[in-house]
Amino acid sequence: MNQNVAIIGIGYTVPKPKTPEVSYKEMTYLAAQMAYKEAKISPKEVESFVTAAEDLHEGTSIFDEYTPDQLGAVQKPMHTVSGDGIQGIIAAALQIMTGAFDLIVVEGHSKASNIVTPTYVLNYALDPVINRPLNINPHYIAGLEMRAYMQDSKTSEEDVANVVAHNLTRAALNKLAPYGAKISPKKVLSSEPLFEPIRKLHMPQTSDAAYVVVLASERIAKKKVKPVWISGMSFCSDSPTLETRDWTTSISTQIAAEKAYQQAGIKNPAAEIDVFEIDDSFGYKQLQHLEALKVYEKGKAKNIFENGDKQKLSTRVNPSGGTLGVGWMHEATGLHKVLEVVSQLKGKKGKAQIKKAKVGLAQAWRGLPTTTCAVVILKNQK
Amino acid sequence: MSKVKLPDSKAGKLAWKGDIPITSRYTAGVAGQKFFQALKEEEKILGTVCNKCEVTYVPMKLFCERCFAQLDETVDVGDTGRLVSFSVVYIDLDSKKVNPPQIVGLIELGNSQARMVHRLGEVKSSDLRVGMKVKAVWEMPLGREGKITDIQYFKPV
Ligand SMILES: [Zn+2]
Repeated sequence: MNQNVAIIGIGYTVPKPKTPEVSYKEMTYLAAQMAYKEAKISPKEVESFVTAAEDLHEGTSIFDEYTPDQLGAVQKPMHTVSGDGIQGIIAAALQIMTGAFDLIVVEGHSKASNIVTPTYVLNYALDPVINRPLNINPHYIAGLEMRAYMQDSKTSEEDVANVVAHNLTRAALNKLAPYGAKISPKKVLSSEPLFEPIRKLHMPQTSDAAYVVVLASERIAKKKVKPVWISGMSFCSDSPTLETRDWTTSISTQIAAEKAYQQAGIKNPAAEIDVFEIDDSFGYKQLQHLEALKVYEKGKAKNIFENGDKQKLSTRVNPSGGTLGVGWMHEATGLHKVLEVVSQLKGKKGKAQIKKAKVGLAQAWRGLPTTTCAVVILKNQK
Repeated sequence: MSKVKLPDSKAGKLAWKGDIPITSRYTAGVAGQKFFQALKEEEKILGTVCNKCEVTYVPMKLFCERCFAQLDETVDVGDTGRLVSFSVVYIDLDSKKVNPPQIVGLIELGNSQARMVHRLGEVKSSDLRVGMKVKAVWEMPLGREGKITDIQYFKPV
């Protein structure tokens, strides 16, 4: 990249299933305080702000009017990206790369517990003429995709259950993961069928939290303590419609990863990247995404739990417990993954720490019914 | 990183609910109009073809999303197809149990690679197999409205 960009501070509130005690603005304010303190900056110095949010998840239209005050961004340039928080980070980093900005803040939050009718919001995202009139709970899209993926990659329901059980069990070691639990693959397979082959334990549960990330140009970052450098980033969408998309491969992850690897000079991701925090929604998504990220060849990600996992990928992929363990947080989902990677690169993950982690990758999926994915590669040395 | 202290969860619970009626109009468009008219009046599923990309779009599209060409070749893809995937749905939009469960299929139509998502009927979920042949069951002509639901569901042949 022609202008180096670093993360010099991250603030957050701990993800929780419900947060009736604080408003989303207060959560964001607390996260911002923490981020600015770590970055040793005042919001007055920040030149531009980005929020990742979606009106219908927030319960207000024109939500970008609601974002400045809790960040100290009143009377400052501020815009909203209606995408995952990693897309917000990329939008901010690109501003810095123009050379016109040195200090930008990205924010994302989830008050998922306040979305009273989430399935209707999801249904409203479907094509209004072709898909919505079927009037069926749209999680069937994950059911269709899981079966299509399993068929194509010769992956079994047991293989997917292994992912769910593994991630939930690992989440128990992560203080930031509210859904950690010692669960066996058998229990996953016998949980209530909801959108077969999707069962209750495949479903990510939602969490509430806020994240504020301070990004800086090299000029500023080199004066800060332990900056974490962005060495590659990209996002894209596959064909948007259910009728024309690829149902077996995460094309958007594949394309975004190829570009990010090229920027970061990574040729062998499994060997060169120490820690991966990636989307694992419904379990099968982790396998599908690992293949799109070229960590495994197509159809081989299920081997992650086999004896002889010489590269220890079962430990290095989603040590946080993933979205299954931490919770689905709509636009903030990817920012939590960035937080986990940054904490790993700073050696601050306690029981979930990957030893000597120097390079990390965060990948996020925009969620149902989308085909949008974003990838960012982070390093603790330039 | 410094820890931020949040108040006790039990401390506050005051919250309000709000909603608005949202009603929108969706224009079928040049291609959509033809597609839905053919459903209603001819019991046909039409697609448009991009020969360059070897893609058939169902429902019809005016343009190719891959090469950006304007499409004018229309093709009748037939109302039978192959089941590419299926999902058995046990709860509705309100998370209430649906009995019997609803079955949704991803169907590859005719010899094209065009796909359609629709309900499956007249079949037990345990009898479904990826690759099985299915055929559209149409609404009676008088009941048709020029909507995707003019096809009631697909059933195994
Ligand atoms: Zn074309």
